[in-house]
Amino acid sequence: MKFKYHPGLPIPNGKTCVWLFLSTEIMFFAGLIGTYIVLRFGAIAWPRPHDVHLSEPIGAFNTFVLICSSVSVVLALEAAKKSRAGEAKGWILVTFLLGCVFLGVKMYEYQAKFAHGLYPQSPHGLVYDKADIYYGAAVRKRLLALKTEIGANLGPSAGVSGFDAAVSSRSAQYYEEQQRRMTLVDEISRDYLEPAEKATRDDPDSYDGRILFLKLAFAIYPPQYGAEGAEQTAAVNGFEKPPIQLAAYMVEEPEGAGHGEHAEGLNDKNPWLRLPIMIPGGALWTSTYFLLTGFHAIHVIVGLIAFALLMLATLDHTKSGVIENVGLYWHFVDLVWIFLFPLLYLF
Amino acid sequence: MTHHDEIDRAGHDAEYHEHGGVGKYLLVFLALCVLTSMSFFTYSSYWPFGKHAAWAFMMAVSCTKAMLVVMFFMHLMWEANWKWILTVPASFMSVFLMWMLVPDVGMRQNNGYARYSRERLAFAADPPKVEKSEVKALELEEAGH
Repeated sequence: MKFKYHPGLPIPNGKTCVWLFLSTEIMFFAGLIGTYIVLRFGAIAWPRPHDVHLSEPIGAFNTFVLICSSVSVVLALEAAKKSRAGEAKGWILVTFLLGCVFLGVKMYEYQAKFAHGLYPQSPHGLVYDKADIYYGAAVRKRLLALKTEIGANLGPSAGVSGFDAAVSSRSAQYYEEQQRRMTLVDEISRDYLEPAEKATRDDPDSYDGRILFLKLAFAIYPPQYGAEGAEQTAAVNGFEKPPIQLAAYMVEEPEGAGHGEHAEGLNDKNPWLRLPIMIPGGALWTSTYFLLTGFHAIHVIVGLIAFALLMLATLDHTKSGVIENVGLYWHFVDLVWIFLFPLLYLF
Repeated sequence: MTHHDEIDRAGHDAEYHEHGGVGKYLLVFLALCVLTSMSFFTYSSYWPFGKHAAWAFMMAVSCTKAMLVVMFFMHLMWEANWKWILTVPASFMSVFLMWMLVPDVGMRQNNGYARYSRERLAFAADPPKVEKSEVKALELEEAGH
């Protein structure tokens, strides 16, 4: 009896390489997800989904899209093995389109975050972890910038009596709107910011001052209703328990409000305001969310490029090895999302 | 017989084995859909067992889904023994990576976030300083008046 020497695994080299690559990818994502878990569960506070405009049904829909694309890849492989090139190409096309749908939905979701100033870092990010004097200073800075901007829009003659709007190229409506904005900016400053600053100046770190800063933050960006969020917000802002003065903002769910909703704040009603917002744990949330989903999206894009290249070839049985390799990679991308979806959307 | 012939033959043998099949894939697809809706259900207000049970349940569901994808879609169920060489070390590394993070999570969780946060606030780093240019402007202003 003679034994044969096998230099390597009993599979094509390409497949060996893909599996080796995937085993490193497992560790790559395990590291990222592990870090997320430590940060998420070690954090003092973590935003509830609606604090950061996460939509669970959209996330679930994307999970469904990726599962469908995984099926279409295996069907493409089956067809290619039987040398049904046209059918295989059709399934690859379906997979490609499903991948595009996933990315499109992801873009829509990112847009919802960006529209509310949920970026990981300045200068675009508006997120502050607690409503302290630094938050107040950021609000004042933005209000001042708005005043300058609106003042310039109104023009130098705005304050002069007898100013004739019709002379200007802009409509009277435009000036009315600018006037309205100026009034609102002044009101926010007078009703919310100044009392908080004054109370804190007279008695630094006073209970009243902290309550007033929280009121300012809630007026701009109300939290999702719920006792848990209220406790975390209170803890972050240095209260033993949620202050009774702010119960209406934090705990009680008004009649007619659905599960996990939040009230409309100044930023929601006036998108041009873009005032700094207070979300306990929000800074860490934006960092981890965009890192995890971003890396996953990059993997999806790489997969789409691979499918696009595949579609250039005739997909008969000689190409089944390549389809299998790309498919393995694509299933792995699906696998990562299977863990990311509950961790990011449902926990 | 050369090495390549061996591989070709192995490849063909694999094809001749009756595995996979569209019916099986569709069944797995159905199972994945059902499992996804199950983990989504934990999030609804009808879930009766509380938050922590929901987390455990969702992770169990995710692991089941991952196993289905790996076994059937990635064909590991029908592969020869080489599969262990590549998957076991990687899985060990990732599992240990997670385990090594557990003490960190545990230490923080036991305190409860309220108590922990007070401790953390007490020893927290100073908040960001005002920018130098702003300080300078203030000083100039004061000097001027």
